[in-house]
Amino acid sequence: MPAGAFYGQDPTKQNELATYFPKETVNDFFNQYGFLIVQMMLQALLGLSTYLPLMAGQLSLASPGFYALGGYIAAVISTKVLPVSGMYPVQYLLLEMLIAGVASAVLAVIVGVPALRLRGIYLALATIAFVEILRVVSLNLEITGGAVGIFGIPQPFQNSLAYALLVLPLLLIVMFFVYRLERSRIGRAFIAIREDELAADAMGINPTYHKVLAFVMGAILAGIVGAISAHFLNTWNARQGTFDASINSLAYVLIGGSRTFVGPVMGGLILTALPEILRDLKDLRLIVNGLLLTIGAIYLPQGLITPELFKRGSGRKAGKK
Amino acid sequence: MTRRFGGLIAVNEVSFDVTSGEIFGLIGPNGAGKTTMFNLMTGLTPPSSGNLTYEGRNITGLPPYKIAQMGLARTFQNIRLFGNLSALENVKISQHVHTGSGVWAGVLGLGKSKSEEQEVEHNAFELLELVGMGDKAQDKAKNFSYGDQRRLEIARALALKPKVLLLDEPAAGMNPNEKGALSDFIRMVREKFDLTVILIEHHVPLVMGLCDRIAVLNFGQLIALGNPSSVAHDPAVIEAYLGGDE
Repeated sequence: MPAGAFYGQDPTKQNELATYFPKETVNDFFNQYGFLIVQMMLQALLGLSTYLPLMAGQLSLASPGFYALGGYIAAVISTKVLPVSGMYPVQYLLLEMLIAGVASAVLAVIVGVPALRLRGIYLALATIAFVEILRVVSLNLEITGGAVGIFGIPQPFQNSLAYALLVLPLLLIVMFFVYRLERSRIGRAFIAIREDELAADAMGINPTYHKVLAFVMGAILAGIVGAISAHFLNTWNARQGTFDASINSLAYVLIGGSRTFVGPVMGGLILTALPEILRDLKDLRLIVNGLLLTIGAIYLPQGLITPELFKRGSGRKAGKK
Repeated sequence: MTRRFGGLIAVNEVSFDVTSGEIFGLIGPNGAGKTTMFNLMTGLTPPSSGNLTYEGRNITGLPPYKIAQMGLARTFQNIRLFGNLSALENVKISQHVHTGSGVWAGVLGLGKSKSEEQEVEHNAFELLELVGMGDKAQDKAKNFSYGDQRRLEIARALALKPKVLLLDEPAAGMNPNEKGALSDFIRMVREKFDLTVILIEHHVPLVMGLCDRIAVLNFGQLIALGNPSSVAHDPAVIEAYLGGDE
């Protein structure tokens, strides 16, 4: 088959294109970057799931635990409970997301009520322990496939990039949700607790209830992202929910900015793309990656995106009038 | 009520009643236990022994947010505003109790959440106007002057629609003019919102001119209780403030 014919009706134009981008390169581009684009959005969602409890001032690193749980739920359902030959129906995937969300919420209430009595770094440690416990449990259970994990999770989409049809709307919906939440009664209660828990308490806000609520919201989101990721990555094992993943999602929030929801989204997108952008540096890239994180933490302690950034923008607009 | 911190008895069997509608002063030298008394009354510190009764109900040991919901609002000696938030947001937050929108209603603007949100904003602006900060609604709380921060704390407490307002040193850090205006302001607020006011204050002329009754604490003990003139002539009070004749 001649190279140009692959692309469609107009062979001359396609031939031109093909000389610049040989067929393999074009395919490679989509294979490589389709995966990366979706992965960036999934990580942005995980950043948001760490941001939600942080809105109420709770430094929780539990997201990867719920992410792993959601992934196992999707993996078990799609390979053992509802095995389908051929393309996996998208409505089954949506059902898995629902179940993963509900299961994460239940587990989050059970874990959150006692854990959220701890503050600051102690809560962080307790949630790391929670992630570790889930990891060890999944390593030793039969239903999770032990150390090998679960293979050959069926695909609901043709290729990696097509996952964007599901993940992009989800990201936009969650961003809208958090944007509105920050301006609503419950969101204000979260922020009051973050600013001064004791004062919030004295102003009639029940701190425990709202801290658990924020924690559960983050957990539900992480569980849903896990369910999608299990299909997206095709295989799921105990390496998904680890301490490393906890630190990654925390880095999205810290580097992106922890005072507005745009921060963790940008953090997730940029930090996932960064190793790919630095690919040309070969072995040096992880060192440069780490250096950039350190420099970011030192020179941008508030993160890349701060609420003042938007205020300044709107102030200028108002000034023009 | 009594509160011990380890071996230290911060408040020792202090007991008093505050009648609805009065302005009640709580005074005493530094370290007398005035703020501890406030913390006991608002649930921030649980008492070691004793009872707290409000409108005939025993509210001893309730968490602060429940006591606040019942209508006891306070300010703090060492100002505890939500510093990174605007004045407007500070006053919005303490209307939490009087609104009921859940997560979904709030996010999607469903049901009564929209009108509720407008009402919250309207009330917040009204209260800021009342304390003379209407033009500073969008500024960050931590950037205000001491006097403004104290006023904002009062506005935030009033947003709870309390029946009892507890003011912990409201005049601290204010200049003489502001202190003068504060007396009138507290009287006006009491009339307008039908409040009982309990205040801790060091500034003696303010307390004497403003309060209906005064309780004097010294080293955790209640040493005098009564109207301003009788308290001012009480030998125990004079001794506590000026030192006794050796």
